[in-house]
Amino acid sequence: MGDQTTATVTRSRRRAVLLGCLLAVAALAFVLAIIPGGKRAEVEITREFDPEVIVTLPTVGPFDLSITKPVVYLWIAVAVIAVVALAVNRSLNLRPGRFQLTIETLYELTRDGIVGSVMKSGAETWFPYVASVFVFILVSNLLGLVPLPLAEHHQFGFYAATANLFVTLTLALFTVVFTHYAGVRKNGPLTYLKNWAPASAPPVLKQLIWLIHAVSEAFRLVSLAVRLFANMLAGHAILAVFFAMALVFQNYLVALVLQGGSVFIYMFEIFVAFIQAFIFAILSAVYIGGALDQEH
Amino acid sequence: MDPESAKALAAGICMAVGSIGPALGLGMLISKALESIARQPEVSGEIRTTMFIGIGVTEAVALYAFVIALILIFVA
Repeated sequence: MGDQTTATVTRSRRRAVLLGCLLAVAALAFVLAIIPGGKRAEVEITREFDPEVIVTLPTVGPFDLSITKPVVYLWIAVAVIAVVALAVNRSLNLRPGRFQLTIETLYELTRDGIVGSVMKSGAETWFPYVASVFVFILVSNLLGLVPLPLAEHHQFGFYAATANLFVTLTLALFTVVFTHYAGVRKNGPLTYLKNWAPASAPPVLKQLIWLIHAVSEAFRLVSLAVRLFANMLAGHAILAVFFAMALVFQNYLVALVLQGGSVFIYMFEIFVAFIQAFIFAILSAVYIGGALDQEH
Repeated sequence: MDPESAKALAAGICMAVGSIGPALGLGMLISKALESIARQPEVSGEIRTTMFIGIGVTEAVALYAFVIALILIFVA
């Protein structure tokens, strides 16, 4: 006992302190778990995704022109992009400050990472479209993670414009139309369609390959639209569940644990926003590049 | 079996079975990407980019099942 060194005494004291802390945390968790929680609340998650009408405009023919929540979010995305672009354009320096450096990094990522690495021909022609799609989807996705007072009765709510199938269908329609337009403009319509099957294939197999390629081309519209839509929808549904789950369990310990879980799922949603915008843009570049160089 | 419970059951089975394929595919994809990066670290940028494209496309298949499950619960 007398020949315990100083190191051993400090180590055992440290171990005792650690044990004490663990016991205190366990006691606190136990106390939080057993005290009676607040009132139970019913939460309906699907109401978050209803396109709520903000300004009612008249209906022209079959089109209802009223301004709904997705429309306002799309306008906000456009306004954000315009303001940022104009602000960076106003003060361009040869030695960029932090803000200009961020925009330049985004630009180089799109030019070299997305268009340059995928499109062999037509990179300069189609870079504006791919970059626009990338930035627009990125800003729309990220805007869905900022609480804005546009939910019903002017409450603060989360909503992403890209969580609406019609928005993503429109964007996918742009990509598909541009794919066929690029192919037809380069090769002429008949050659473009004929190139969907390789020329050196036996006759019946060639028709079969052409059919399979045609079906897969037709499916691209659906897959592009549904991928973005379902990712954003699922992400927001999970976020809503995490945020509101504490109201359903009437327990303080569960609420505390859910706070940490909500932070993690929110960070994951930011990551998913970037990834989905990137995937949409790079798949658009792949499709348009594929239509441009069909002979390979 | 009344339609409500049949729909709920179908949605559950759809999502559960429909996630098996994409999960296996994602695991194979990412593990191959890891191996390739370990073999040739100088092309890790390209490999990472292609891996993310592959992840996006593979995960979309799971999301198709998710959309069908949503349609079953909320629309049908």
